[in-house]
Order: sequence, then C-alpha cells, then structure tokens
Amino acid sequence: MIRWLAPLLIPLLAFPTFAADSIKLAITGPFTGGSAPMGASMRDGAKLAISEINNAGGVQVGAAKMKIEVIERDDEAKNERGALIAQELASTAGLCGVIGSVNTGVVLAGDRHLQEKGITKIITPAAGSASMTQWVGKAPELSIFRFAAHDGIQAAMVVEEAINRKFTKVAIFHDATNYGVSGRDDLQREIKKQGDKLQVVATEKFNIGDKDMTAQLLRAKSGGAQAILIWAIGPELAAVANGKAKMGMAAPLIGGWTLSMSNFIDNAGKNGNGALMPQTFIEEPITPKAKAFIDAYHKAYGVNRIPSAVSAAQGYDAVYIFAAAVKQAGSADTSKIKAALEDLKEPVRGVIATWKHPYTKWDIKDVETHEAFRREHGVMGMVQDGKVVFAHDEDKQRLAALAKAP
Amino acid sequence: MTFSIVTQLVVSGALIGLVYALIAYGFQLTFATSKSINFGQGELVMVSAFFSLTLITLGLPYWLVLPGGLLFGAALGLFVERAAVRLALEQKSEGWILLTIILGLFLFSVAENVWGRDDRPFPTPISQTPLNVLGVDVTPVELSVAVGVFAIMGLVEVFKRQTLLGKAFEAVSADRDAGELMGISATHTVMLSYALSGVVAALAGILVSPITTVGPTMASALILKAFSVAVVAGLESGFGVVIVGMFLGALEGIASFTLGSGWREVPGLLLLILALAVRPTGVFGKAIIRKV
Repeated sequence: MIRWLAPLLIPLLAFPTFAADSIKLAITGPFTGGSAPMGASMRDGAKLAISEINNAGGVQVGAAKMKIEVIERDDEAKNERGALIAQELASTAGLCGVIGSVNTGVVLAGDRHLQEKGITKIITPAAGSASMTQWVGKAPELSIFRFAAHDGIQAAMVVEEAINRKFTKVAIFHDATNYGVSGRDDLQREIKKQGDKLQVVATEKFNIGDKDMTAQLLRAKSGGAQAILIWAIGPELAAVANGKAKMGMAAPLIGGWTLSMSNFIDNAGKNGNGALMPQTFIEEPITPKAKAFIDAYHKAYGVNRIPSAVSAAQGYDAVYIFAAAVKQAGSADTSKIKAALEDLKEPVRGVIATWKHPYTKWDIKDVETHEAFRREHGVMGMVQDGKVVFAHDEDKQRLAALAKAP
Repeated sequence: MTFSIVTQLVVSGALIGLVYALIAYGFQLTFATSKSINFGQGELVMVSAFFSLTLITLGLPYWLVLPGGLLFGAALGLFVERAAVRLALEQKSEGWILLTIILGLFLFSVAENVWGRDDRPFPTPISQTPLNVLGVDVTPVELSVAVGVFAIMGLVEVFKRQTLLGKAFEAVSADRDAGELMGISATHTVMLSYALSGVVAALAGILVSPITTVGPTMASALILKAFSVAVVAGLESGFGVVIVGMFLGALEGIASFTLGSGWREVPGLLLLILALAVRPTGVFGKAIIRKV
C-alpha cells in the first residue's frame, strides 16, 4: 500500500506552494467615512475589472489560467489602521500584490511594511507627493508603484488654468491637514515656476469642521482675487463655495481633484457650479471603452453616478496593469510581478488611456520611474449641476482621438 | 479695513455666535436645577439633526419635522437624565460627569452606525439666496437662526416667570431642599430641565444644519465654543450667553480677518482664560455663597 501511495504523495510534499491556483490580490482603502467616496469607488472599479478577468477564465500564468482572489481591508482613512493592515498583509503567505490607499497619511504609515517584505503595491488613488518621495534616496529597490496623478501634476494644472484664464490676482485657500499644507506649497512652487504671473493676494487657512469662511473670503475679496486656488476636502470645500455665493463673489474655485468628490458636489449644490479641478477620468461616454465601463459600473452597483469616477477608473486600470504584469512574469510570485511591472512589454488598454510601458526600473533619485501618470493624462473637469463634465472641449476631442488611434 | 467689511464680519460672526449661545443655554437650563450639565450635549444636537433629516427624507413637511425633531430632543434629554444623572445626583456623587461623556460617545457610535459617517446636506424651505441689507450679505437661513434662538429663549424665560410649573423650576433652582419642603418634586423639575435642554439642543441642530451640513462630527467644533460661552458668561444668565455668544462670534471673524485665519480661535481662548482668572463665576454670573 505504502509503495503505491508514495509516488503519489511525493509531488504534493515537494511542491506545496504550487498548490495555489489563484492570484491573491489585496484591495485596501477607506470604505467608510469622509474619504469613502474615493475608497469605495476605487474598490468597486477594481472589482469590476477582476470579475471581467475571472469571467474570461482568469489570467494566463505560464500554461495555466489562474483566477484573481480578492482580500478586502477597510483602513477607515486612519493611519494606525493602515499600519496594522499593512503588517497583516506583509505576513500573508502567497500574497501577490496590493492595490489601494486613498490617504497620504495611511500610505506613510503602512507602506514600509510592504516594502520590507518586497510585496508589490500599486497606490491608487492617493495623490499626496510624499507617498512616493519618501523613498527617494532611501530605497535601492522599490516594490511600491503609484497609479494616480500626483499633487505636483495637479498643482501645475491648476496654476496653468488660472494663467490661461488671464487671471493676475489669486487667493490660496487650504485646510490645516498634511494634504492642504503640502498642496499650498505645491501651488506656491508652481506659481514661481510658471513665471510668477499670478499675484497671491491672500493665503488663507481653515480647520476641518470649519463652516464659517466669511473672514477668509473677505480677505480674498478685498485683495481683489479673481480666482481662489484651493486644496481641501469635500465638506470644507462646500463651506467655501456656499460662503462665496452668500457674498456674491464671482471668483471661481480652482483646486485639487477633491473638488470632484460627491460630498463637495452634494453639499455645495448649485453653489458648486463652475468649480474646476484636474481629473484623469470624467464620467462621460466619449469613447466606446469609457461607455462600456460607465454602464457596467452603474449596472453592477445600482447607481446612476459614480461617487468618485477618477478613483473607479484608476482602480479598474490598475487591476489590468497588475494582471498584465502577472501574465508577463508567468508567475504569481510578488517579486517577479514587480520586475515585470518595471518593464511592461505589452501595452495595456485601459479606460483612462492605453498604458505603454507605464513604469521603468526604480531609480533612487527619480520618483517618476514608479509614477504612471504624466501631465498629458490630466484633463480639467468642471462641476455642473451635480456632475463633473469636461471644462474644455479640446480635452474631450483629444481623448476621443487618442482612443481611436491604434 | 472699511466699515462695510467690519459690519459684514460682525454680523456673520454674531449669527454663528447665536448658535454657540443656544447650545450654552442648554447647559444653563440643567445647571440651574441640578448643578449638573450634560457633557454630551453636542451629540444631542447631532442626533436630533440626523433624526430630523430622516423625517425630511421620509417626506414629512418642514412644519411637522420641526415639532417632531424637538419632541425627539426632549425624549433624548429625558433619557440622559434617567441614564446618567438621576442616580448620581441622588447619591450626591459627581458620577454624572463621566456618565454624560460616555453617553455622548455612545450616541456618537450609534449615529455613525445608523446614519453613516458622511456629511449630508439638510434641505430647508427657507431660502439660501443672500439678501443685501445695508451693505451686509446675509441669507434668510442665517436670519432664521437668530429668530429661532430668540424665540425659544424668550418662550422658556416667559414659562419660568409666568407659569406655576415655571415658578417651581425657579424655586428648585434657588434652593432644592426648600423647594422639596414646599411640596415641589425636585426629581420632576430636574427631568423637566433636561427635557427642555434636549429641546434647545434639537432646535440648535435643526437651525444650524442647513449651514453646517449634518454629520457625526457636526457639533464637535460648536460644543467647544459653547463651553467657552457658558464659562465666560456664567451659568446663570440667559441674557449673558446671548451677549457673550454674539461677541465671541464677531471677535473670531475680526481676528481671522486682521491677524490671519490661523489666529481665529486665539482671542476666544484668551477671553476664556481671562474670564477664569478674573471672574470664575462668569461675567454675568453671581458669586455663589455656600453656607456650611
């Protein structure tokens, strides 16, 4: 009997890791709380891509097809939760990769645990510059990638927009969080970089939970500001928009992509109209691919507006890029996936763009090697009657033309 | 800094200051009868606002939502009195301090789980379109706050002075034991004061929600200001909290404009320290002489 069984048992004992027949992918982010529109949309967009891949049989890994298995973790936008989750994931056996994170603080608290174990992570949609610059000059090898238009790109677009609109005097508004303060610095740097064409007549700050912005707005108004460049999150952005309407100020809000959050749009109502912000994806079916994605999202989650379309589209594309890396690596081993990501040979057709070689080998001095987004991926969005639409028709036509190109 | 800017800052600040005053008034009502205050008053404001929002989403008209919300506030006030205050007072312990804080945390978790953590808009039939009165921009919603605050405080003061029940309220406030000897139930009077305090909190929630939006943390900033107002004004005078509330609101606006927005809170805090150092019973408070 033993003699019979032994040859059967040996392969099982010798190759226990090969028993895994799925790709374990963790999705983390705030699925509850103030940042939930971004976190939940990212998760839902990613899961849409995963179910498409799985329904088609899975990812081709070597000779076999493997399905993607999702591990979900809610970090509640809390730094300490993020750190705990990262520790847990870092010690999860057979984990292939992580996609997610919305809040820069959570990234700073958690990613070092993943980096220590060399686990591949694609950060999306967290945009704070520090998430990637923390590794500059420190990590000779890096398993962390970003798939979002970072604040540097966004600030450049905001300043460019103000200059293009022939404004000369602006006010800078920001909240007192890490995000707001570093946004202010990015804006000031960009104004200088783009030739000091904008005179900053007021730099105003407010706290999370502040509702009365009268004093800040009056300072902007009496300084003659023609636009308010702003870095904050939903509820306070809405308070500024509402205060502006009360005082009959016509100066538009131009700011970070948070101006597209549903909790800004809903709380500001018609006062939010005309707010301008950089976007990577706008919920308008301008290409067949975009239309298919929007329709599938609406149908799968029973909504008629994606809470944060940018996050959803980035989550969706990030999964396809990850899957392409797994296929190229021919393995579910996270370090091989990382190596494949740094040199992705086949273009990935996403809903935002067709991604050709999004990342290159990590350069300890150049954070751009692990950043997928460049200036040309950004478009200006504008709030109009409860939705985000294209601010410029040229952007719309440019993207539609790009999608048609082979 | 022109005259019109100053008036705008003062008017906007004073209007938000009236909300601080209304919440502080809720502290006064319970302090008068029981020498206890509800440290979870902010959560009462928030939960009542959420409850009213639910009534609105159920399709009830505003004139029904208002009494519905106020009744709910009264019930919450009674709940706080029974759960956190009554036994502590009977045992003459200070347990109500901790218990009201805990009850506040409890209500906060309940709200997070029932209504979620997002800030939500609060629809109101009162117009949000600004009016320009003598060069100052105000919205009818902001004016409704002022009207509501003065109306409820006026009603409560009239009740205390003109009705028999109100006089019982005053009697227990003046001397609990003497009141009991005259056949007034101190327990019932304390219950009444907590119910009234709940009504005031609910009204504050309903009035301020269209301006601040409704969310679990909506009252956390307001409640700190309300404490300052109550301490600076003293826990005795309803008139005092109105004056101090409006003054503090206006001061915040002016400080924020002249010194920069980072300095907004500083004058208010200085005022608080000054009041505690120079007049611990509050500007409008009476020194309590305790006979032992």
